[in-house]
Amino acid sequence: MATAKTDLEAPRKIVSRRNDFANEVTKAGGVNINKCLQCGRCTASCPSGKHTAYRTRMIIRRAMAGFREEVLAGDDIWLCTTCYTCYERCPRGIDVVKVIQTLRNMSMRVGGMLPAHRAVALNLYKTGHAVPIDPDNKDKRLKLGLPEVPPTVHSSSIALSEVHELLEQAGFLDVLETALTKQIRVRPPEEGLFL
Amino acid sequence: MNEVAASSEAVPRVGVYVCHCGKNIADTVDVKKVSEFASSLPNVVIARDYVHVCDEVGQDTISRDIKEQKLNRVVVAACSPKVHEVTFRRTLAKSGLNPYLLEVGNIREQCSWVHIDNKDLATEKAKDLVIMAVSKALLLRPLEAKEIETTKSTLVIGGGIAGVQAALDLADSGIKVHLVERASNIGGRMAQWGKVFPTMDCAACILMPKLVNVVQHPNITLYTHSEVKDFSGSLGNFKVKIVRKPKYVDEEKCTGCGTCAQKCPVKVPNEFDFGLGQRKAIYIPSPNAIPQKYTIDTDHCLYFTKGVCKVCQKFCTSGAINYEQQPQTVDIQVGTVVVATGYDPFDPSGILEYGFGKYDNVITGPMVERMADAMGPTGGKIIRLSDKKPPKKVAFLQCVGSRDEKLRLAYCSRVCCMYALKDAMMLKEEDPSIEATIFYIDIRAFGKGYEEFYVRGQERGVKFVRGKVSSIVEEPDTKRLRLRYEDTLLGRTIVEAFDLVVLSVGQLPRKEDQELGKLLGLPRGIEGFFMEAHPKLRPNDTVVDGIYLAGSAQYPKDITDAVAQASGAASRAAISLQVGKVQIEPVAPTVDENYCGGCGICVGTCTFNALKFDKQGEKRVVRVDESLCKGCGSCVAACPLSAIKAPQFTDQQIAAQVKALLRPETLRR
Amino acid sequence: MSLKYAFFLGCVVPNRYPGIEAASRKVLPRIGVQLEDLTGASCCPAPGVIGSLSRDSWLTLASRNLCLAERLGLDVLTVCNGCFATLSDANSELKESSERRDRVTNLLHGIGLNYIGRVKVKHIAEVLGKEVGSKKIQEHVTKPLSNIRIAVHYGCHLVKPRVSRNFDNPENPTILDELVKALGAESVDYEEKMACCGAGGGVRSGVPDVSLRMLNEKLANIQNAKADCVVDVCPFCHLQFDKGQVELKQGYDISYSIPILHYLQALGLAMGYSVSELGLDQQYIWNQAIANKLGGGNGTK
Repeated sequence: MATAKTDLEAPRKIVSRRNDFANEVTKAGGVNINKCLQCGRCTASCPSGKHTAYRTRMIIRRAMAGFREEVLAGDDIWLCTTCYTCYERCPRGIDVVKVIQTLRNMSMRVGGMLPAHRAVALNLYKTGHAVPIDPDNKDKRLKLGLPEVPPTVHSSSIALSEVHELLEQAGFLDVLETALTKQIRVRPPEEGLFL
Repeated sequence: MNEVAASSEAVPRVGVYVCHCGKNIADTVDVKKVSEFASSLPNVVIARDYVHVCDEVGQDTISRDIKEQKLNRVVVAACSPKVHEVTFRRTLAKSGLNPYLLEVGNIREQCSWVHIDNKDLATEKAKDLVIMAVSKALLLRPLEAKEIETTKSTLVIGGGIAGVQAALDLADSGIKVHLVERASNIGGRMAQWGKVFPTMDCAACILMPKLVNVVQHPNITLYTHSEVKDFSGSLGNFKVKIVRKPKYVDEEKCTGCGTCAQKCPVKVPNEFDFGLGQRKAIYIPSPNAIPQKYTIDTDHCLYFTKGVCKVCQKFCTSGAINYEQQPQTVDIQVGTVVVATGYDPFDPSGILEYGFGKYDNVITGPMVERMADAMGPTGGKIIRLSDKKPPKKVAFLQCVGSRDEKLRLAYCSRVCCMYALKDAMMLKEEDPSIEATIFYIDIRAFGKGYEEFYVRGQERGVKFVRGKVSSIVEEPDTKRLRLRYEDTLLGRTIVEAFDLVVLSVGQLPRKEDQELGKLLGLPRGIEGFFMEAHPKLRPNDTVVDGIYLAGSAQYPKDITDAVAQASGAASRAAISLQVGKVQIEPVAPTVDENYCGGCGICVGTCTFNALKFDKQGEKRVVRVDESLCKGCGSCVAACPLSAIKAPQFTDQQIAAQVKALLRPETLRR
Repeated sequence: MSLKYAFFLGCVVPNRYPGIEAASRKVLPRIGVQLEDLTGASCCPAPGVIGSLSRDSWLTLASRNLCLAERLGLDVLTVCNGCFATLSDANSELKESSERRDRVTNLLHGIGLNYIGRVKVKHIAEVLGKEVGSKKIQEHVTKPLSNIRIAVHYGCHLVKPRVSRNFDNPENPTILDELVKALGAESVDYEEKMACCGAGGGVRSGVPDVSLRMLNEKLANIQNAKADCVVDVCPFCHLQFDKGQVELKQGYDISYSIPILHYLQALGLAMGYSVSELGLDQQYIWNQAIANKLGGGNGTK
């Protein structure tokens, strides 16, 4: 029940949109999302979408409508398993997976990274393996007649230092730091906002 | 030779006309400066600039100047000669000046349109182009176009609705028509359809009278089961070799009674029915095929494959069966050609996720048409193939084989939205309780009455879902199909089961068109359809003078547009025939037989077979067949002795242009 | 015939499923595929997580791995869809000029590496299917896996995107089914055979409950088809299928007992190696049913 005048006069939330976002994404990833027909075949092909409310098409739609923050700091872009079925079936031949990975790369700067990925990224830097060896598996290796530690970076400190050098120079640590210091989550634009 | 023409031998007096082309040229090139520059050139008597030199005022100005200024050369600096060279030649001719004393400098396509960002340099370049044109103009000589008589006859390739319409229009106007059709009967795709949109007329009912007209028309010679085997010549005089493949049935004797087919023991899937029905090895594709003459399919006939049977001959009361029939070659000469070879529907077997060919109840739009035909394989009933029962819930999937870059078929086939709507309406008419859903990306209802038809469909309860179906999976026991799609307007992913799925397949160019294109010298576009001369202004012409296009061979279209284009093509094809003669442009080079060594290098360069060896006394020389020559100049460039000279591009003229371009001023620039 | 490759291990094989490494080292030389260690190789890096965080870093590490192979003068052989996708895509990206490629090339120069572009990247499925061939494999089978019903899981990055992988039809591939038949086993059809296992793209670590939903659907379909086990060619799918069944039980009380074998482990069994030699008893899921079918005494869990 409206309380006198106040509810009706409640300030409408102004949402800012970025008209150039579609072009920004196109330029960053090399895939022209403006070609999207919005036919929805990608959504219907998506395994994640089968089990959630995730609609692949909507990511592109929101990007084209300029909802930069919602896309980059939203949950949806992290639901893609990169299975490529959408790309295979898209009538406009849009590499949707590449678009999503581009958006993920861009989201690093606004703090969109998933917390769980921190560990994986740090492992990669520290050990050269996203999934490094542990005592349990060293045992398993020995039982199989394999050397305790595989002939990868795990067996060569020179190799590991090369990995460190490369990752540092490539800016991996900077990306990680920014991503770790910012953490925001923004809800999709369709959910109850006044424009 | 009148006064003005004779003066072409005198000192050249050049008029230069610099066109603004509205803003096309004038916005980038400073046309006034170019015009001033032109008037400073030696031999230029007058130079003007004008907004549209090609319009009435422009042309009249040129005419007046020719008379008053006693001009004997005209230079027009404007758009590409491909656009208006013909126009200005006419202007010269009307003013009594030889039309070949004209030179066009292209300061639009080759200057203003490509240098929009650099006006100063564009203006300088325009000046260069003008001085080059003037230098060449000084060396132009008058030329005469030859006139040849045209053969008052047209070849129409393709007996579908487009070819039939073109043939009838031409024949009605008194022109003899040779209509060649690859299949045994005419009618093409339209003969396969049940009803047509938006009128819901019975296709056969409106088509048959035209087909009968063709068969009975005194001016039309019909060749069915035939192909064009050889082709040469040019506008007004094409030489064509038609091969009539044997039907092994004497058409004069065959009464179309059908006893032979009744008795024939071999059953084969009927291509006309897209495999839904069957025919015999001796057959007509459908009960109302025209002409009603039978054909033997030698791939399946027992006599031709195994040397046995001969039942058809035994039972034929007219003695029409002739196993010894030979192919017949007919040589004809025609003045013009209309190509109306039609299209093939897309075969969706390659789209594995849709299951066509794997699942019984996934069919195509054309198959629905055959079912809807009262004389068709299911007696006019649309049914599920798994249990032959009528469906209660039907899905139509649009854009299958169209608008799909993955399949390299990026274009829109135009007709599928409407034909799916029509099929859905047919279902609703039969049983209003049937649920029909059309899955679309866009609904294209562009023609007259089409939007109204769409509204009627919606009112009748045809459902529309905006979403391209991702995949189809069959339910093993019921053979129903589960479609997974996103209803994009709703924003929800849905899995829904249907009794029958219809894939609305698009139109593809016929594979045989590749060979035909090579034979006729017709280029095809990137999608494979024959290319029109100009998409806006000459949609029925091809780049080969005298050959015209009609129907889906040029680009997917519906019957309305096919008929309209066919009549258009017929009218184009009739022009030179009604006039009775045609001008051959003097582009053909001449061979100076004193220099020609008969080496034949030029013959190898000519793709039009216009150069032939001949004897001049003891010496072997080369001669030019002017009717075949297109004036491309390859031979001129190839000749090691410079024995061949092109009349409109002599070495001296080209040298003068180069010298004009490389004048000290440009070198300093 | 002697094929020799630089053996790229990746992460999951050596560090979580060494049984697959053991199987590779035992089986491949015997059928004519020589393996040379790619010493000092790192994570490929994982296309899902690392590619999502920084494409520059992804391309840089991948390029280093390719340089190592080039130094050996050998093509790369991988037994993992994910490593295959990364190394193939990186290989292609390095062959086209771009700003990213320039940046990466500079970084490589910084540590004294330069990639010329001579290396080809091969997946074990291609090598076995096209270079060794079913027939040769059959010749080496001494203990055919008769009566074993195998649900083949191709995974995603082996066949998609088609324009990049150029390897069998993504909607209906047959290569692995043929290879499984060569072992004497039956390849059973099951609903949504080409569906994703749910692990990729960082989803397994990032959004585990969604990942497990996708796995659950796959397992349910496989169970409906009454398969005895699953055969895959991707250690990450392998991890998902194996550990995932434990996670489904622990988190959702959903029980399955469908053992998962890498094709090389299945080939190992067919060539007479024991369950423990192939590390199958080190995996989370193993059961008596399949042990019996394989011919008693092959160890149970």
